[in-house]
Amino acid sequence: MLQQSPQLVLAGLTVGAGYALVALGIHIILRATRVINFAQGEFVIVGGLLAYTCVTVLHANVWLALAGATLAGFALGLFYERAVLRPAARGGELTATIATIGTVYVLLYGHALIWGSLPQPLPFFSGGERDAKWVIGGVEVAAQQVWVLALLALALLATYLFFDRTTYGKAIRAAANNPLGARLVGIDVDRARAVSVAIAVALAAYGGSIIGPITLVGGAAGVAIGIKGFVGAIVGGLESPVGCAAGGLLVGVIEKLLEGQFGYGVADPVVYSLLLAMLLVRPQGLFGVRGVARD
Amino acid sequence: MSRRIADDARFLPLLAAGAILFGIFAARDATLLQAGTYAAIYGIAAIGLSVLLGNVAQISIGQAGFFGIGAYSLGFLTASVTWPAAVPPWMQYALGTLAAVALATLLGLILGFIALRFRGHYLAMATLAFGLICVGVFRESKALGGASGITGIPFPQFGGLAISGRASFWFVWLVVAAVALLTLNLLRGRTGRAFEAIRNDELAAETVGVPTRRYKIFAFAFAGALAGLAGSLYASYLGLVDPSAVGVSLSIDLLLMVVLGGAGGVSGALLGATLVAIANIYGHDLENWRPVIYGVLVIVVVIAFPGGLAGLLRSGRRSRTTVLPLPDAAAPLPARAPRAVTDSWLRVEDASKRFGGLLAVDGVSFGLATGTLTSLIGPNGAGKTTLFNAICGVGRVTSGRIFIADREVTDWRPHAIAALGVGRSFQNARLFADMTVLENVIAGAFPLEHAGFASDLLGLPQSRRSERFARERAADVLRLLGLERLAGTLARDLAFGDRRRIELARAVASDPGLLLVDEPAAGLNASERSRLREDLLALKAAGKTLLLIEHDMRLVMEISDRVMVLRFGKLIADGTPEAVRNDPHVISAYLGTAS
Repeated sequence: MLQQSPQLVLAGLTVGAGYALVALGIHIILRATRVINFAQGEFVIVGGLLAYTCVTVLHANVWLALAGATLAGFALGLFYERAVLRPAARGGELTATIATIGTVYVLLYGHALIWGSLPQPLPFFSGGERDAKWVIGGVEVAAQQVWVLALLALALLATYLFFDRTTYGKAIRAAANNPLGARLVGIDVDRARAVSVAIAVALAAYGGSIIGPITLVGGAAGVAIGIKGFVGAIVGGLESPVGCAAGGLLVGVIEKLLEGQFGYGVADPVVYSLLLAMLLVRPQGLFGVRGVARD
Repeated sequence: MSRRIADDARFLPLLAAGAILFGIFAARDATLLQAGTYAAIYGIAAIGLSVLLGNVAQISIGQAGFFGIGAYSLGFLTASVTWPAAVPPWMQYALGTLAAVALATLLGLILGFIALRFRGHYLAMATLAFGLICVGVFRESKALGGASGITGIPFPQFGGLAISGRASFWFVWLVVAAVALLTLNLLRGRTGRAFEAIRNDELAAETVGVPTRRYKIFAFAFAGALAGLAGSLYASYLGLVDPSAVGVSLSIDLLLMVVLGGAGGVSGALLGATLVAIANIYGHDLENWRPVIYGVLVIVVVIAFPGGLAGLLRSGRRSRTTVLPLPDAAAPLPARAPRAVTDSWLRVEDASKRFGGLLAVDGVSFGLATGTLTSLIGPNGAGKTTLFNAICGVGRVTSGRIFIADREVTDWRPHAIAALGVGRSFQNARLFADMTVLENVIAGAFPLEHAGFASDLLGLPQSRRSERFARERAADVLRLLGLERLAGTLARDLAFGDRRRIELARAVASDPGLLLVDEPAAGLNASERSRLREDLLALKAAGKTLLLIEHDMRLVMEISDRVMVLRFGKLIADGTPEAVRNDPHVISAYLGTAS
């Protein structure tokens, strides 16, 4: 166990990258619309499958596929906000929650209709049938793992810069914090919400495309990715973007360590129990501020 | 009984006839009969979720967990355990069912207790996690057969009789009938009225004396128990249970049934369960499309037809004229036990309330003499409403103590303070919007009622007496305030001024000793204002102690025995209207040079 643990931590960070992007997306949508999007995990799978189609049908290289899937995710997010989230949010929180659960069904079984129910492999980003591997300090590091972590860092940085450094990003945050005030200063709040949701879905699609070569994409995996992403958001703090990203990575590491020690069947229920435990003990999360988590 | 529940009850004979006709016509078609049997089994679980979602506005996407607990409990006790020969099969079955329901109820209580901490989407996630944990445990447990589950579960046994095949259909629908009747009893009773209040406005429900936490936990336990019962029927009908049958997709199917049929009460849940069960069996040609269609249906129905199928069949809820029950002279109302006679309904000792860096209430102390009308005035932001919230338990003080009728209530929850005899109105009149005026005022009488869960569930005479009492009490209050003509109006259709008066009526319905009234005159026209003045004086004459927040200085000076002035959270003046009017501090701080 102890000798394995650096290896498991690395594996955990790799799957955790997917959870981190899901958690961040949930955070962005929650902040913009006050709705928790249960379908975020399915968007990861749909994104990965879109990248798969770019590669196999359009014969694009992996980088174009990654860009294509991310853009397609953005468009899908715009549609999703307009067709589902916006009308559902008018009916109140329960209605919106139920509508996002309905979306899980549509996406989960919908992508099986298009791509089949078996998970599909994405090509490695470094090219080749087999991924390059190095042994560093006794830990075997695959090139794709390095790609995943680097591309995760890139996405997090881009998200941060957009929301914190650009005028439009700040306008979106203003619209989320105080819709009425934002309207008064001329911000199109509906559009800001739509763009927020689109960014969140694009992040999910991007996540599916970068972890796809390792985890394969498709099947019923989206449900677990979505819930573990939410666990990450709760662990880190649903109201804190940094917390969401860190929480997602942490959940990935915890999951892999548990799997290494007790096997696959035990890890999942324990991770889900972590959700209940966190909600009970520290609902604002590790990075959150008390008093804001339970509005 | 609210109209919604009355409609639900009216629909039941139709459903019963439908089930009987189905059973007769489907007798030769094994597939159809099977669909009908599944409809009943899932319908029972759906009824529980329907009550939770439609009557109490709490969501659960972990109902499959309870279903699994029921199925596995029965399966384990009747198929895996070796019983001594002295225990006949029917007793094994009965004990298994009992254990299934008891365990599901217990876990429902626990989940309800946990769920109290969350609202909306947090609740959804917490229940989802619960369902996933249950499946994980079933799959990992060797005693429960791991991934292949438990097989060889015997059919339900009664005496020497095993119920299988066609008989199963009639048996499970009989259970549905029993469950439907119990559920309707519950919803008609005091419990149902508490649910309705919680669904409309949780905070207002709490301040009229509904222990919202307890009722929410109960609703979770009830939904859990029904899902457990359904699970036990499933296991004995099919003869086996495995983890894949009780996974997340079952939870979502149950949600679909309830949303499709219409959340709230019994008939929507049974309609939805029947439709889905039939679609599941006959939708084989659409095997891959079916769940996609289900998902689209959930989204479309929840957005465009929030009442579901049952909502489309029943007429929309509108205001109407209601004839109030006349007091029955032959059977006088049971008088409420006289309240403790106290000369001090309220005492506040050195109360402070801090919000972050802001000290909203700063070391306030005062007491109120019984039967007096005191006004609390002060500029906006002086801490008046904060003080009200602290007194009625909505927002606890940071330091200091609060006594109501000589009992310290500093840490009490609002419903307990309300039950002591404290009524309250809100600045923005928080009525139960989807309920009629009469129902609103009946809800106000909640603390005077006696019926408990058990008597409601079983529909005991006590439950009916309790409702009759509350209804007559509410009618009395409406008559007293001259509001009879509004009895059948939905609260959301009320004019602003009426809303205020109905809220006062609701607060008075519990016969409180102390009434906290927050800005009752704001926005009233001259005639409404003079009626309000009369109402307040009449309440005082009836021996109530009143504490009023008000900005209308003329009204305050006319009717108050005493006036207290709050400024920046501190009490800066306290005395007769005359004395306060002439107090130089007050003049400079608040009244300005006028008056």
